[in-house]
Amino acid sequence: MVRYKTRYLLCELCVSDQSSLQLLDDRAVFTAVREAVSRAHGDYGAALCSLAFAVKYLNAHTGVVFLRCRKSHYKIFWSALPFITSLESRGQKVPCFFNCLHIGGTIRTCQKFLIRYNSQQLNRMLRYCHNEAERLEVRRAVLSCSLKSLEKEEEEEQYGDEDEEWGEVE
Amino acid sequence: MAVFVDLNICHTTDKKRLQNIIETAAHLGYSTVAVNHVVELQGKKQEIGKPKCVTELFDQFPIVQGKSKPIKVLNRLTVVASEASHFRPTNEFKSYDIIAVFPKTEKLFHAACMSFDVDIICIAVAEKQPFFFKRPPVNGAIDRGVFFEISYVAAIKDSTMRRYTISNALSLMETCKGKNVIVSSGAETALELRGPYDIANLGLLFGLSEGDAKAAVSANCRAVILHGETRKTALGIIHTMKKIQPTAERQEEEEGPVSKRAKTETGGV
Repeated sequence: MVRYKTRYLLCELCVSDQSSLQLLDDRAVFTAVREAVSRAHGDYGAALCSLAFAVKYLNAHTGVVFLRCRKSHYKIFWSALPFITSLESRGQKVPCFFNCLHIGGTIRTCQKFLIRYNSQQLNRMLRYCHNEAERLEVRRAVLSCSLKSLEKEEEEEQYGDEDEEWGEVE
Repeated sequence: MAVFVDLNICHTTDKKRLQNIIETAAHLGYSTVAVNHVVELQGKKQEIGKPKCVTELFDQFPIVQGKSKPIKVLNRLTVVASEASHFRPTNEFKSYDIIAVFPKTEKLFHAACMSFDVDIICIAVAEKQPFFFKRPPVNGAIDRGVFFEISYVAAIKDSTMRRYTISNALSLMETCKGKNVIVSSGAETALELRGPYDIANLGLLFGLSEGDAKAAVSANCRAVILHGETRKTALGIIHTMKKIQPTAERQEEEEGPVSKRAKTETGGV
C-alpha cells in the first residue's frame, strides 16, 4: 500500500489570440516544459524531467493543462514555468504564458477546483455580454452548472466518498 | 486570498496595449497595478511631465479575478539618477502616487537609502550591479520603510539577463535577508505578465523564503502604497482636501484601511 506521491499542476495557458490554442497538443507542451526546466536547472532539471513528468490533460478550447511531477521537487518544475514564453507546434510559434491556478495531490482535487473556477469564469463573462441573447445564454449556463453541482453534492452525500484516491497509483 | 499588487507596468502611449495589459493583470488576480513613467535626469532642471489621468483609461475598469471589485490603477514615477544633485523633489512629484529611484552609483545608492524621499529603490536587472550592497545603507532603508524592487521581465526575455537578475537579487538578499523586498513585472506587453503565485514561487530562485516571497507580491506592496500616501499628508496623520461642494455636509473619506486612518477628521481647506 505504498504509492509514489505526485503533484498535479493545474495551469492555464494565456494567449493573446484564443484561436491559436487549437494548434497546441500534449507533445508541444511537454517539450516546452522540459526545455524550460533543463534551461533553468541544468542537467539536474533534465534528469528530473525523465522521472514521472507527464502532461496528463490538455483542453485546447480553454487552454487548461494538467502537469504531473513528483511531490519531492515540484517546486523546481514550478519555478521554471514562468520562463516559458512560447510553444512550438506544427512549425508555428505560439506566444503564450503559463498561469498556475492550483496545485493538488490528486487529479480529483484539481478537477473539483477547475469546475469551481470555470463557473466563476461564467459569472465574470456575464459582465462583458453585449446583447440580451448572449446574456441569456450565459445565465442559462450558470444555472445549469450550479444545479448540477447541487445534484452532485446530494449524490455524494448518499454514496459517500468512496474513491478518494483518484491519483495515479504506481 | 491575499491582495496581490504589481507596482510596475511600463507606460506606453499606445492606449490599447496598456488597456490590454491591465485587463490581463485583472484576469491574473492583481487587485492594484501601478503604471510606471521613467524619467532619466540629465541636467539640474528638467521637466517631468504630469501623469496621464488613469481614470481616463477605461470607461469601466475590469473586475479582478476572484473578487467583485474593479482593479485599481496608480501612477508611479521612476527617476533614473546618476548624480545626487539631479534628484530634487519638485511639485510635479506630488502628482504621482509612488516615487521610485534607480541609483546608478554607490554614492547615490547610499543617499537614496538614507535621505531621499522615495518609496522604492530599484535594483539593476539588465546588467551586473556596479557596486556591492553594504549593510549600513540597506539597514537604514529598512528602518525608514523604503523597499527594494526586483523586476522580473528581463529574466523572462533573455537568458543572460536572467543570470544578472538572479545574481543581483541574491546579492541583495545576502544583505537585507529577504526583508523589504518587492517583486514586480515591468511588463511592456500583456504576455510578459505572470500570475502572482508563480511569482511567489519564482521568489525562491531569488533567495527569498516562502513567506517573504509571498509578502513580496502582496503585503510589502501594500506598505509601499501606504508609504506613498503619507507623502501627500502631514506625516500620515492629517489629510486635507478641497471641498467640491460647500453645501455637502459629509466629506468623502479617502481610500484606505480604517487602522491607518487619521483619528481626527479635518475639514476642507
